[in-house]
Amino acid sequence: MREERIRLIVEVALSVALAAVLGMFKLTLPWNFAGGSVSLSMLPLIVISLRRGLAPGIVAGLTFGVIDYLLEPYFVHPVQVVLDYPVAFAACGLAALARPRRSGVLAITEIGSSALGGAILAGAGRLAASFVSGVVFFSANAPEGQPVWLYSLLYNASYLAPSVIACGVAAAVVVPALDRAVPISRVSLP
Amino acid sequence: MSVPVPFGQYVPGSSPVHGLEARVKIGVTAVFTVALFAMETWMGLAGAAIAVVAVVAVSSVPPRLVLRGIRPIAWLMVFTVLANALTWGGTGVRWHAGPLGVSEEGLMRGVFFAVRIVILVAGTSLVTLTTSPVDLTDALSRLMWPLSVMGFPADDAAMMLTIALRFIPTTAEEAERIVIAQTARGARFDLGGPVRRARAWVPVLVPLFVRLFRRADDLAIAMESRCYTGVGRTHLRVSSLRPVDWMVLVAGVALAIGGGMYL
Repeated sequence: MREERIRLIVEVALSVALAAVLGMFKLTLPWNFAGGSVSLSMLPLIVISLRRGLAPGIVAGLTFGVIDYLLEPYFVHPVQVVLDYPVAFAACGLAALARPRRSGVLAITEIGSSALGGAILAGAGRLAASFVSGVVFFSANAPEGQPVWLYSLLYNASYLAPSVIACGVAAAVVVPALDRAVPISRVSLP
Repeated sequence: MSVPVPFGQYVPGSSPVHGLEARVKIGVTAVFTVALFAMETWMGLAGAAIAVVAVVAVSSVPPRLVLRGIRPIAWLMVFTVLANALTWGGTGVRWHAGPLGVSEEGLMRGVFFAVRIVILVAGTSLVTLTTSPVDLTDALSRLMWPLSVMGFPADDAAMMLTIALRFIPTTAEEAERIVIAQTARGARFDLGGPVRRARAWVPVLVPLFVRLFRRADDLAIAMESRCYTGVGRTHLRVSSLRPVDWMVLVAGVALAIGGGMYL
């Protein structure tokens, strides 16, 4: 049992390392002048959430948020840092809510819908955090009366939507292959 | 596909700023950022800018590296200035072209916000420029102890941070090896449109995940056999706060709070 718990800790940690590596290969869209890019960095967080559940997914996201900030800090407001890094990536753990209800052999449609649903939930959670962060930032630096919520929503959705589609498709391929190659016994963080 | 090692922003050095305990740097920077947002006068920003320039000078970090962090936010500053300066059909504008005008008060406010962002980015990047990721992770792990009171697995989180950071270069090398192996089998990553190029990465992602999770098995067994329990972990190198660290912490926090309250 203890070995399973250690294995879970290591799986989460290595997923974070992989997320950091995948995040280095990113496509920054011309209009994303204030940070944010299209990448597969969410993919390992979605995979670990679908494989291990909500708590490990959230912890993986929190850890990746800290590492991502240490490697590539983008600090324009104290609240923005908390929301854009640990909170936004912890929200990727919401992908676990799309885990298939039953275990055993699953149909390809079940695997696909679970992976895509997980990616959409992860993206929606991250969008919510980044949206609030954007509202806080634009509110602090733009005059009152401007539609800061619209700026923030369009800005963050512009890079998150392609990332979610890419991660969803990739997760649909990776998760079943991983479950076959490296099966798990279900454990949870204390 | 290669990742520079060492990665991150750290610039090795032996300056007094490099030598400060990482927790002190994190603490002073946290209070400094909050104080910066509390400041409402140009005098306050000038004081903060002088403090940042002084720390950069003492740290021996090349100023161009500090300024490098500002380049990605150049458009953000332009947006900030324009969003404040431009008005549509408003009154009290200094210059105008049709209904579009530039308010002098708004322009000054925009420039104030933009300068504040520059000082903020320069000040916060000093922490990552003068502290190695390993020391920062260690410091964050030690700062997480209050969370364990609330039931958060702080020791496990600290271990995850350490392993993740340690394995980033290894994982990047693994990815590079798989890319080379698939290229040798005829895979092409630079042909066709975006969809075809994305599909070309599938034969890389699947083995990458599988190998990584198999490695997790091996690592877990290695940790278990070395009696890792997650509780009461000790360290080979234990960093402690020296008198100079306490002095910098107290002085830095006092100056930041004073500046935030009165400037």
